[in-house]
Amino acid sequence: MKKYKFKIIAGIFLLMTVALFIASCAASKPIADKPGALLWGENCVRCHNAPSPSAFSDTQWEAIGKHMRVRANLTEDEVNKIVEFLSMANQ
Amino acid sequence: MRNIFLIIAVMAGLIYAQDKPGESRFLLRGYAHSGLEMREDASTFVGGSFNPIFLWRQSQKLLFEAELEIEVEGGETNIGLEYANMAYILHSYAILRLGKFLLPFGAFAEKLHPAWINRMPTKPLGFGHDGVGPARGLGVELRGGIPVGVAKMSYSVYVINGPVLNDGSDPTLEPEEAGKVNYEPTGELESENKAIGGRVSLLPFSNSSMEIGLSGFYSNVGQKGTEYEDVTLFAYALDFSFVKKVSFLSGVIDIKAQYNAENVSDAYYTNYEDSSRYTFKNNSSSYYGQLSYRPVNLGSDFFNSLEIVGRYSALSFPKGALWEADQTQVAVGINYWIDWRNVIKLTYQVTDAGAHGEESGEGQESRDAVFIHWAFGF
Ligand code: HEC
Repeated sequence: MKKYKFKIIAGIFLLMTVALFIASCAASKPIADKPGALLWGENCVRCHNAPSPSAFSDTQWEAIGKHMRVRANLTEDEVNKIVEFLSMANQ
Repeated sequence: MRNIFLIIAVMAGLIYAQDKPGESRFLLRGYAHSGLEMREDASTFVGGSFNPIFLWRQSQKLLFEAELEIEVEGGETNIGLEYANMAYILHSYAILRLGKFLLPFGAFAEKLHPAWINRMPTKPLGFGHDGVGPARGLGVELRGGIPVGVAKMSYSVYVINGPVLNDGSDPTLEPEEAGKVNYEPTGELESENKAIGGRVSLLPFSNSSMEIGLSGFYSNVGQKGTEYEDVTLFAYALDFSFVKKVSFLSGVIDIKAQYNAENVSDAYYTNYEDSSRYTFKNNSSSYYGQLSYRPVNLGSDFFNSLEIVGRYSALSFPKGALWEADQTQVAVGINYWIDWRNVIKLTYQVTDAGAHGEESGEGQESRDAVFIHWAFGF
């Protein structure tokens, strides 16, 4: 019974994955070419809701950027661009 | 009690440092949650905890993070250290961490368990304390994110103080749990072994919407000089995350799933009641899948603040062990987001604790429960 249920769930996930895979394949830029605002919108929602730029000050964003770089294994380039965007948009 | 004063003193200092004008690099953050659990026969307040976190950016390269967990459980206040570590940026693709940290064994323990992040008031079966697989450890880690083609990957490898096998030989240390691995041994069960582990993940799309991770963990777990000294543990996990705004659904779809497995090598244990010897295939596993949907373009703030979520989870402890278990759980809920990390969760949860739930005294879990839970970060 257990095995059976597991297969159903695995199947559902597989189907969804395939469907969404197709959905996400729509043309998109390489990460390296993306601006900070876009990277913020794509990355900061993956684990929790994205905080708005005005939620923190520049120095706070610096520390939070480091924290999330470590916790989420974001790349250096992504974090630098995102922090730059957040500290510009929080005025 | 002394602990509490110490904590208050440290936090007062931090708040002061944070409020100082200029370029203070202290950040006091954290979260708290509390709720009400209603069953057929009784209602209880559950899960009250307060978790202060402090971050200190010492320089461009060095970050210190620490989190305390102050929890009220059965009228007692417990204080625990969730983590305390230093992260040093070696270069673009490598960060060195030292101290006590949440382990990248799957994604839930490290990234999804905080009450304001978890979409449910409870953790999936087998993903909490006494679950399957490790959650935190004391040691050293190397991690990072690396661009690959148009997308990226991430990795981490670590060495930590290893877990300890409960071999059932000490009658004061829950001998009925012989064969179980204790990931956070304290006091008498001092760990003598080192564990190694790691995780690699791939984010195949350049919009980072999907992440697939694979984790492994290996350690000797038996006490040296006993018949269990060669007993080993191998655990692995597979995790999946997909988060994307889907325009034809006018909202954000969030899928999370993880499978954890634990294999302990064969050993004979002594039954503490009648001294008979027994053995069993010591394999445990747990998994969950969660789907949530939050509208973003419904035109009304009220509807845009709602989220619906469903989760299925299952746990299996080895057949033949005195702690044998086979449980499943379904939870569905509706969440109301007051702001980005302030949420009220209303959840209906049904747990089937299986045939063995009754024996192990967890039979009451096979009932339905309704939760009203509030979680917020600050
Ligand atoms: C891989 C998952 C993940 C991603 C991606 C992520 N976060 Fe986080 N974030 C977390 C977790 C987990 C915490 C809670 C830390 C804790 O309680 O230990 C957190 C906490 C925070 C906090 C609270 C303060 C703090 O530092 O603890 C802020 C602000 C935040 N994240 C902002 C961001 C921003 C901005 C991004 C995008 C660059 C981001 N997060 C991306 C997982 C993630």
